[in-house]
Amino acid sequence: MKENTKRKLFPYLLILPSALFLLVFTMYPCIYLVRLSFYEYNLLKPPKWIGWKNYVDLFTRNVDFVVALKNTAIYTAAIVTILILFGLILAVCLQRESRINSFVQRAMFIPHIVGMLSVAMIFQWMFNEKGLFNAVLAIFRLPGLKWLNSSDTALICIIIVAVWKSIGYYALILLSSLKAIPAEINEAALLDDAGPVNRFFHIFMPMLSPQIFFLLVTITINSFKVFESVRQMTKGGPGNSTNVLVYYIYNYAFNYNKYGYAAAAGVVLLLIMIVMTILYFKAMGKRVHYQ
Amino acid sequence: MGEIVFKNIGKSFGDVKVIENLNLTIRDGEFTVLVGASGCGKTTLLRMIAGIGSATSGELFIDGEEISDVPPGKRGIAMVFQNYAIYPTMTVRGNIEYGLKNARVPKAERDRLIREVAETVGLTPYLTRKPSELSGGQRQRVALARAMVKKPKIFLLDEPLSNLDAKLRVAMRTELIELHHRLKTTFVYVTHDQTEAMSMADTIILMESGEIRQQGSPEEIYENPDNVFTARFIGAPPMNVYRMRGRQEFVGYRPESILLSREETRMLYQREARILTREMLGSEIHYKLVLKQDGEEPITIMGKSSQKQFEVDETVYVNVDREHLYFFDGQENRIRDEAGLKECCAMIQGGL
Repeated sequence: MKENTKRKLFPYLLILPSALFLLVFTMYPCIYLVRLSFYEYNLLKPPKWIGWKNYVDLFTRNVDFVVALKNTAIYTAAIVTILILFGLILAVCLQRESRINSFVQRAMFIPHIVGMLSVAMIFQWMFNEKGLFNAVLAIFRLPGLKWLNSSDTALICIIIVAVWKSIGYYALILLSSLKAIPAEINEAALLDDAGPVNRFFHIFMPMLSPQIFFLLVTITINSFKVFESVRQMTKGGPGNSTNVLVYYIYNYAFNYNKYGYAAAAGVVLLLIMIVMTILYFKAMGKRVHYQ
Repeated sequence: MGEIVFKNIGKSFGDVKVIENLNLTIRDGEFTVLVGASGCGKTTLLRMIAGIGSATSGELFIDGEEISDVPPGKRGIAMVFQNYAIYPTMTVRGNIEYGLKNARVPKAERDRLIREVAETVGLTPYLTRKPSELSGGQRQRVALARAMVKKPKIFLLDEPLSNLDAKLRVAMRTELIELHHRLKTTFVYVTHDQTEAMSMADTIILMESGEIRQQGSPEEIYENPDNVFTARFIGAPPMNVYRMRGRQEFVGYRPESILLSREETRMLYQREARILTREMLGSEIHYKLVLKQDGEEPITIMGKSSQKQFEVDETVYVNVDREHLYFFDGQENRIRDEAGLKECCAMIQGGL
């Protein structure tokens, strides 16, 4: 082999292991998922090609898929708004160096390291009609709520749990970027006679835009994949009021053994996330200031 | 107008007192340079004037008005930071315009001011660029333009040239001097570089550990130092100052006042010395010499001379005239009274 060819091949050799890994554990399952979505398959009989039928069924025969889609959208919209908005507010509040602030920073990171399942179990107890929240309401002589047992409030409860678990983590990400802004920038703005609101929106927000954009994309993707809390606390109920996409897929695959159908739902989820991400980049890309 | 008066100013960070009971007047329209080693409190003073690090005690006046409660943006001052502190997400124009917008200057007026100031500092072709697309020198100009456009009565500059390369630094130095001549407003400039201070200042304020060691014109500070600290701080290389043998008093002379000779002369100060190093700088030569003294710690001095004939390791005479000798007492303060000077001269002649 010529020396030149060797040199050209060497880099490919170096990335070969990770490329193989990616191929086997990421690309192949994805492709298999798409293939499976065109089959009827229940593990017992061999897969049977049925064309687009699974997709047609998703949107026409079973209304529950559209409900799950709607629930997921509501959940995601709420989570993204609340986490970014309150994450920012929290970060701004925690900016000043003080003992209490450094304690709060540590404390609010803890929910992030606890497993979602454990969190869901604890909240399930607190949301119980004889649980903590109603006990607190009783102290103020307020009537108890049905929380997870009412289709009006169940999804809100799921949202509360998710916010509780991750707001600290996202606030910390924003806080660290906020603290990375040199103090002189703020002082220069003070000398330019800029009030706090003006400074926040014209100086700090643009400087935080790469982080905010990153959070927007990751929170959206994570929210679309919500599963454990629903599985543990409501099982999609009452009725279909907390049924979300991933739980829906899980349900059809492992409770009803309709693997092809579940795969089709999975493909739809995949497509939605790809489209969302592209839309984000299209819509926000120009407003993000990278330095 | 832009006279700044510090009255009994004190400043502590936690338990650490940085400045205590400081009184100082910075005259209107002058180029005043605060100079001192890092940690001497010069930047602290500057930040007090700006209002971004207020004094712990005392009063601060601008044009006779106590301004401790006036917010930074309303003091009629502008500041250039060491790292420029340009808003990275705004264009050059945006950076210059931001202060004007906050001051509610109408759009047409803003455009005119920006055009004017951009022309002055040579940024016109770069107005739509982002700071990340600019060189260090250009960023410096943005910071300068942002300060100038507000037409402040006081300019504060915190080591603005320290991030530039040597050549650009010298060029910007003269530009700043010209700028001051044109604007005729008060400039307060902080630096640790005595060359910068000497070359730019109308008045130098020399600081050490939160206290003012001497205040005066560059000539005064150079020719007439009040104390050992000033003598050793100013000049490149600085004044040679050492304790006379067995005495409390110090003698000092500038490297450039030295005359080297192979033969004895009739000058008041005459010591034998050996040349340690010889640095050829073109028009002049820096000699490092060690004085020949028996049984004492060797004293090294610097000499600056256009005499090129001396070699390393050669033993020569270091001669200094009476009028170029400075004397300081045991408290490191300058001896100025006749009796004291006479006594010191006698000691020098006696070979101490």
